[in-house]
Amino acid sequence: MGILVPLYLAGLTALSLPLILHLVRRTPRGRQEFSSLMFLSPTPPRLTRRSRLDQILLLLLRLAALALVTLAFCRPFLREAASLSFADLTGKRLAILIDTSASMKRGDVWQQAIKVAEKQLDDLNPQDDVALFAFSDRLRTIIDFQKEGAAPISDKPQVVRNRLKDLQPEWGSTDLGTALVAVASELDTASDIRQSPLEPQIVVISDFQSGSRIEALQSFEWPERVPVVTLAVAPTNTTNAHAQVLPAEEVNELADVRVRVVNSADSRGDQFTVEWAEPKSSGVPTDVYVPPGQTRIIRLPRGTDNLQADRVLLRGDDHDFDNTFFVVPPRKLAATLLYAGRDAAEDPEGLQLYLRLAVANDPLRQIEVRPLDVTKPLTAPGDVEPKIVVVSQPVTEQLRTALTKFVEQGGLLLLVPDGDEAATSVFSFFDDVEYARSVAETAGAGESRSEKFLLLGEIDFTHPLFTPFAGPRYSDFTKIHFWKHLIVTLKLPTTTRVVARFDNGDPALLERSIDKGRVLALTSGWQPADSQLALSSKFVPLVGALLDLACGGTEVSESVSVGQPVTLQSSGQPEPFVVQTPDGREVRLAAEVSTFSETDQPGIYRAKLGSTETRFTVNLSAAESLTAPLDLEQLEQRGVYMGTEQTRAQRIDRVRQQRDTELESRQKVWRWLIVVALGLLVLETWWAGRAERKITL
Amino acid sequence: MKLEALTPARTRASYIDPAALMRIKNLELRAKLVVDGFLSGLHRSPYHGFSVEFTEYRQYSPGDDLRFLDWRLFARSDRFYLKRFEDETNLRCYLLVDLSRSMGFHSLSYDKAEYAKTVAATIAYFLTLQRDAVGLITFDQAIREYLPARYRTGHLHRLMICLEHELAGTATDLSLPLEQVARTARKRGVVVLLSDMLAPVEMLETKLGYLRSQGHEVVVIRILDPTEVSFQFQDESMFFDLESGRELYVDPQAARSGYQERFAEHAKALARVCRGLGVDVYDLTTDGPIDLALFDLLNSRMRRGRQVARRRRV
Repeated sequence: MGILVPLYLAGLTALSLPLILHLVRRTPRGRQEFSSLMFLSPTPPRLTRRSRLDQILLLLLRLAALALVTLAFCRPFLREAASLSFADLTGKRLAILIDTSASMKRGDVWQQAIKVAEKQLDDLNPQDDVALFAFSDRLRTIIDFQKEGAAPISDKPQVVRNRLKDLQPEWGSTDLGTALVAVASELDTASDIRQSPLEPQIVVISDFQSGSRIEALQSFEWPERVPVVTLAVAPTNTTNAHAQVLPAEEVNELADVRVRVVNSADSRGDQFTVEWAEPKSSGVPTDVYVPPGQTRIIRLPRGTDNLQADRVLLRGDDHDFDNTFFVVPPRKLAATLLYAGRDAAEDPEGLQLYLRLAVANDPLRQIEVRPLDVTKPLTAPGDVEPKIVVVSQPVTEQLRTALTKFVEQGGLLLLVPDGDEAATSVFSFFDDVEYARSVAETAGAGESRSEKFLLLGEIDFTHPLFTPFAGPRYSDFTKIHFWKHLIVTLKLPTTTRVVARFDNGDPALLERSIDKGRVLALTSGWQPADSQLALSSKFVPLVGALLDLACGGTEVSESVSVGQPVTLQSSGQPEPFVVQTPDGREVRLAAEVSTFSETDQPGIYRAKLGSTETRFTVNLSAAESLTAPLDLEQLEQRGVYMGTEQTRAQRIDRVRQQRDTELESRQKVWRWLIVVALGLLVLETWWAGRAERKITL
Repeated sequence: MKLEALTPARTRASYIDPAALMRIKNLELRAKLVVDGFLSGLHRSPYHGFSVEFTEYRQYSPGDDLRFLDWRLFARSDRFYLKRFEDETNLRCYLLVDLSRSMGFHSLSYDKAEYAKTVAATIAYFLTLQRDAVGLITFDQAIREYLPARYRTGHLHRLMICLEHELAGTATDLSLPLEQVARTARKRGVVVLLSDMLAPVEMLETKLGYLRSQGHEVVVIRILDPTEVSFQFQDESMFFDLESGRELYVDPQAARSGYQERFAEHAKALARVCRGLGVDVYDLTTDGPIDLALFDLLNSRMRRGRQVARRRRV
């Protein structure tokens, strides 16, 4: 005999009602007013045996009727089978989803997570299937569900347990939404296809920090049969802040760097220090006060002695995992520029002076301008390899061979002929360009002069030299007057490219690629005698662009988050990239592949392509540092069906209850109880009526 | 007035049925009816008028009030004599009527209070007819009304109105009215206490004794309901104390003998106390004729008068 709703047994207290009523009948009905009770003493109520007997039958009838009605409400049933064992439970298909994001590195959070996961495994039945997934910014299947038709893995929980021990938190951010969606849809479809009786369930073990991304849930219709149980783990100390270097506002990287310091909402501390640091030494700490849940942006000057510092360190919080922000330190590029010209270095009428001035104050490059010694080979042993050669004088045959070789190896040759003679020899580098020899057509007498000036009329802004000026703010070259220029004609078909033309259609800048290098030729000099170019504001950037073209661009310190791919700048060379990760591992990319996606830890990566090396930083996602706990209701609001954690005993209870309900609804004992109760009430009424009649008679 | 001059015949059978009497709403009318009947029976007795009566002469001694010197005698005998009179002023009677809630008990169609009021009204009316001063104190646990003893026009009417007031009070304090009389009544008089005396007897003794020591005559008329005496209840029920509101479950069958015993004890104690002080106690049950109260009063006066006379003669 069992009872389905034991709560209704409380209705048995109603049995006291007839008892009380019968007791009440014993107290006198009448009330007698009397002048004074001073002569009266209370007499105990007399109960004769007879009067009690008369009422006891009625009382019993009433009690029985009430008890039966109460019992009927309790929905009694006759138990058939013996008690349930764990083996009677329907199996479940449990997906353990463990968070391996960087925030799990905090304190003992990871150990807690492992313990929680092991507890889940302990509570499994032999008929249950379990899979282990790890997720950070992407989902990894550690152990999948039992494949259909495959031989069952013996003692799968133990296997999972072993794999669990090998797991470690990574550096990725937390994409909870995507992981949930992927696992849920897998579980749902698997249940559909296999018609499996196993109940699917997802258990998420995570610190559920507020930086978790759950947007993926927004557009996903959550399958109703897949409940999610969230098991949160949390560190004891919650103060956590992180610093992030913001992109510079100005071009000059030595300007004060702005650092954003974010303090997590559940922090207890608000006093931190940030400093520039190198791998082995650290700089002067700067205090910063950030109340919990707020953000401060401070200026953190690098200082001259910290130029090589490659990271910003934050101190003062409880957790170190997000305290380092890597920055590629600016590097001075040393390069040599060879100048072959007849003018002296300090000649204000010459080309060389302006060239020296333009490269002198470059903070990122150390350019040495050397005169070209025609007698010597271009590259002397021990010298820095020249990147660029500027020629304005006539070229001898010997020099010409050397220069051609230089260009073929990837050098850049800029030809600025300073006169007729030079022009004749210089333009021999261009096979398809014919020097008109007489250069004074424009003004009627060789070279143009005075009011009769020319402007740059047609500029190819897609050319690397002019791309810095591509914006409408900078593309105005009309202030630069050209008084002298050389007239050349191009033979068709031509391999030479005209990068810029004067407004009369004459070519102003010619370019020709030879093997790896390129040759550029200006038909007008920049010295004041020829044009206003050297004195214009465009000159220095133009020389910069020229150096960029020759030496490769100054590094753009690209910073990506862990897990994001990096596009490496390839110069079309067939050689594959070799990327060195911060821990010293070398990853060789396939040829023609310029995207590096194994950014699995924060730090400074070096990508080598031949002799050039570019560096980029990989930092922890800023969202990962928002370690305040996520409001789990947000998951529910996005449609996730939240289940509750049930132990085996609880599940057995539930199954038992279901079976009891079924039994009860089949037996329907309560109907008979009600019928008997009604019968008793009829009997009671009849008996009471009879007793009444007796009294009145 | 000399009450002892009256010789009422208590044995006569012409009492008015109190039930019939109580149907008359007007208290004054009731009193008139009783007194008229009473007087008609009284007329047969010899009735002397009242005057200030001379008793004796006493020789003057220095310091005596010269007003009472008999100058005529001095003229005749050349000696100073003082005239002595019997102090025979009008009777001052104080009616102390208990109007506490316990007086509201009734087993007949009227309650004890109504009966007590009628008795009081009757006595007052009777005394007023004889030009005596009548005062009234109604009380429960406190004094409700106080009318000093007077004889003047309209005083009786005021007295009747005071008597008409409703019952109140949750207890009976007999000492208060007795104290009040002792404090205010300078001249000796008759104090008639109309109450059911359902209060502890002990403290009554000192107060009554105080009154007696001031020379007052005290008559206690105990008004009782017949049921209070016999306790003739049948069904067990909750007994509700009219004064204190206390409830008690009582089975009359079982409790009757005990009640009667204690009731008798109380009466005995009261009688003992009163006898010791020379106070007369009369029991009146509400089904008895009211004239009896008058008889009792007069009886008491007569006996007292004789005692006084006897004492003086000795």
